[in-house]
Amino acid sequence: MTRFDAIVIGAGVNGLVAAALLARRGKKVCLIEAARHAGGMAGLRPGEGPALAHLVHNLSPAVRRDLGLGRDWPFALTPLATVALAEDGRHVVVDGPNAKLADGTAHPFAAAHAALTERLTRYGALLRNMAETAPPGGGMSGIAMMRQGLRFARTGLSLRAMGKPEMRRFLQVLLSNAYDLILDEMSDGPLAGLWTADAVRGAALGPRSPGTVFSLIYRMGHGGIVSRPEGGMEAVIAALEEAGRKAGCTLRTDTRVARILTEGDRVTGVATEAGEILSAQVVLSSAAPLTTARLTGLDHFDIEATRRLRNLRARGTVAKVNLKLARAPALPGVDLASARMVFAPSAEYVETAFNPSKYGEMSEAPVIEAVMPDPGAASPWLSLLVQYAPADLDGGWTAAARDRLAQIATRTLARALPDLPGLVTSAEVMTPDQIGAATGGPGGHWHQAELTFDQMLTLRPGNGMGHYAFGPSGLYLCGAATHPGGDVMGLSGRNAALRALEDRA
Amino acid sequence: MSLNATYDVIVAGAGHNGLTAAAYLARAGRKVLVVEKNDWIGGAAVSRSLHPGWTYSNCSYVCSLLRREIVRDLDLPKYGLQVIPYEGGATFTRDGDYFAYYSDHHALHREMARHSRRDADAYQRYAQAVMRQCRFIRPFLLRDAPDPASLRPRDLGEMAYLVKKAHGLGPRELGETLRFWTMSIGDFLDEHFENDLIKAHLAGSGIIGTGLGVYSPGTAYVLLHHYMGDIDGGIGAWGFARGGMGAISAAIGADFEAHGGTILKGAGVEKFLTKDGRVTGVALEDGKVFKAPVVASNMDVKRTFLTHVDAGDLPPEFTRAVERFKIRGSSAKLNIALDRMPSFPAAPAHASFLRGDLHVSQSLSELERAYDDWKAGRVSAKPYIDMLIPSQIDPTMAPTGAHMMTVFVQYAPYDLAQGSTRSGVNWDDAARRQLADCVLDQMSVACPDIRERIVHMEVRCPAEIEREVGLTEGNIFQGELTFDQLFFNRPVPGWSQYDSPIKGLYLCGSSAHPGGGVMGAPGANAARAILRADGVRMKGYAA
Repeated sequence: MTRFDAIVIGAGVNGLVAAALLARRGKKVCLIEAARHAGGMAGLRPGEGPALAHLVHNLSPAVRRDLGLGRDWPFALTPLATVALAEDGRHVVVDGPNAKLADGTAHPFAAAHAALTERLTRYGALLRNMAETAPPGGGMSGIAMMRQGLRFARTGLSLRAMGKPEMRRFLQVLLSNAYDLILDEMSDGPLAGLWTADAVRGAALGPRSPGTVFSLIYRMGHGGIVSRPEGGMEAVIAALEEAGRKAGCTLRTDTRVARILTEGDRVTGVATEAGEILSAQVVLSSAAPLTTARLTGLDHFDIEATRRLRNLRARGTVAKVNLKLARAPALPGVDLASARMVFAPSAEYVETAFNPSKYGEMSEAPVIEAVMPDPGAASPWLSLLVQYAPADLDGGWTAAARDRLAQIATRTLARALPDLPGLVTSAEVMTPDQIGAATGGPGGHWHQAELTFDQMLTLRPGNGMGHYAFGPSGLYLCGAATHPGGDVMGLSGRNAALRALEDRA
Repeated sequence: MSLNATYDVIVAGAGHNGLTAAAYLARAGRKVLVVEKNDWIGGAAVSRSLHPGWTYSNCSYVCSLLRREIVRDLDLPKYGLQVIPYEGGATFTRDGDYFAYYSDHHALHREMARHSRRDADAYQRYAQAVMRQCRFIRPFLLRDAPDPASLRPRDLGEMAYLVKKAHGLGPRELGETLRFWTMSIGDFLDEHFENDLIKAHLAGSGIIGTGLGVYSPGTAYVLLHHYMGDIDGGIGAWGFARGGMGAISAAIGADFEAHGGTILKGAGVEKFLTKDGRVTGVALEDGKVFKAPVVASNMDVKRTFLTHVDAGDLPPEFTRAVERFKIRGSSAKLNIALDRMPSFPAAPAHASFLRGDLHVSQSLSELERAYDDWKAGRVSAKPYIDMLIPSQIDPTMAPTGAHMMTVFVQYAPYDLAQGSTRSGVNWDDAARRQLADCVLDQMSVACPDIRERIVHMEVRCPAEIEREVGLTEGNIFQGELTFDQLFFNRPVPGWSQYDSPIKGLYLCGSSAHPGGGVMGAPGANAARAILRADGVRMKGYAA
């Protein structure tokens, strides 16, 4: 029997962060991962090509600070401009608050775009304050409560500091839908399409669904800058792994947890499928809540809690498609090497793409985000996120269905990049069901649980479970299903580790 | 009556809310004039006789939300108002079965168990959850919505009331409340039930009148909006006003006139007159001018400020906010005179549920697809219908032996797509016939002989409701019931307390908090705000 202070289950971004943070605070930590490599969903690769997450926009500086990684991440981050592809060739190049047409001429809604960017980034900064702490309440210690009270007071003050009209506007749009928010400011087209596509990326929602303004703000919580990690997602994961290793954390890959062990109402460790017992007073699980509950034994959870866990909504809608190209495609006026391309020619298009997913069908004309992670290569990969491809496809994700998805994706992108189909030499497809199967993430959903208001803050993952502590004493959830959520951010893992430390203090 | 007299208050629009505001003000001793563009009063709470012998409630058709405090304050029963609750309802299947809803607990349990034993057991938990939310929200309907950005004592007071109420729920229940308010009705039902038909039956109230689908977050609140009423203390119960919905407006109007008020019909407002940022009266379409220091508009917020006020009189950011306000036409209506009771082959003879609300939607996904059609500017291929035959309970609605049927239809877009255009103009006769055909097809799932029973039929599309009643896009709530347009956000942030940037000009319609339905609350609340501005505390429920 091997003894640790803490065991962390699952070496995804949040598991890595939680383990490294605990180790840095002097705990003897073992991080257990079922797969052969750390990385979880972010690092998941369909084959030879780029990993599922190909860009970062929410990597948390709070995480970097707490892991002692210094002022900068130990890998290069290249900020990318975004190209909103248009079928008529009038692509829109968006660089932060600046939007112009690819031919260099002014975009008619450039001013509206700049104002929206500024406003939503400001809102994002406000909400980030909330993301970097546990949700309110939850029986924390006096000092922690005070610290949290200060944080909320600060949020309240920054809200007030915006001035009355802005404060009112914030409280109005927060629960609103992205479709109306954007189309109130500009007429429909590729720029509006881009905004709404960003609002629903990864979600089982369309831009007309109330709450999508929040998901848009969530994406802009760290300034709204989209960056490509040089060296791919592997570099991000390696950096987090290294931070853990330096702090003395043990990483055991290829190890499956069979059970989370308890004695009475206390966690005592985990048993692996190989029959090994690892003991610890504290176990953090980045596995999905229901999976974690099952590993622990459902008898540790009352019927109400179990029902809530079963009802947690997580229905992945995004598939990964990697296209191997003979050479990089050309787009006049655009440097594709430092651009993220988005095919969403209008907000209406995005909503229409969403419709079939509600009935278990894939979009015939999907929303696509495309980047070239390694633009220098002779025959580069074009890495695509294709939405909507629902996890629960009618008839299942057969090989034929996956092939069709790759074809649809290529055909759709060709509407703006006519030479693309001729350049594709091979394709790899990874659908939400495969993402779910490979990572244990329910429905292959990026956030482990849909990021909607009824599954947020103290309600995430379920009412009464919003404070990381989960079931028997000493057990914590630290995955994306907890506050604030996923997106290669690391805050769920960080907050959970801090909570566990505080409870033991 | 001297026509060019001046008044203390003019109310523009004799809808039930306008009349409610007027009645409260008249009771407070104000000299009040109500001007109404139509030759009848009631707005969307009307009874109209369009075919000799039959009476249609041709817009709103059932009653539950009308606040009992208002019924009491305005003595409405004295003026003949009688609301008769109906019991139950049913959803018919395409294969000749039905799911019936009974208000009797045991009957409902048996019927649910016939479709799913598990759902029958789950219903109690579901009903309790909804009822808890009803209890929480009801006290807010007749209170002002506080402005969260304001530090005025009254706003702080209302805010404190909100916090106290929320705190009183306890953390667990507060979580449930937040969850419920932000969920979709589809997800909420999926959590409780397994049977498609039962879910479809219960989901209807979550979408009626809105531009949202059953899986749009926020529709659980819309369901609540339809459940928070009561009849004689029976929370969530619905009923028929004897003589049609016009009986409600007529009773309120009668109370108003009994207290010295004047109603001028056929008098549409052309413009709200202002001087130096203050309202001074109204100019009518026929050129007449009436002066008053206070004017309350029963029109929706868009119509009030974008059509009948000079843009120059309003701060541009207010105008922008009103432009952004969403009023989306999503429903249509068929009013049918029947020669006799249509046959419902699936139902047992004399089934009590036939006196309730009848539907034919089979599943949540069928309802969601109906919404997809609407988004694309089409009438739903399989619309949600809410049909009732009030003449079974209220014999005044049709000749002996004959019946009257009211059919609410969702979804029908205001801006109907035709070719490449989307506009209310596309609602021509052919489009309306097509709508009627589609609805009658749906209805024949329940009553196959419906077409043979029709003596007269009125088809009301959103564009027509807009034209006649004056509701923008024909939206029955004078504005979507989404979070960004509820409570302190209704109608626009910073102006949730019935007043406006033009001093003396108030909103008293359902564009204002707490929103639509034949509730009377916006009208009563507006009257209270008007009196408060004079330093007078309104008598009645607020006392």
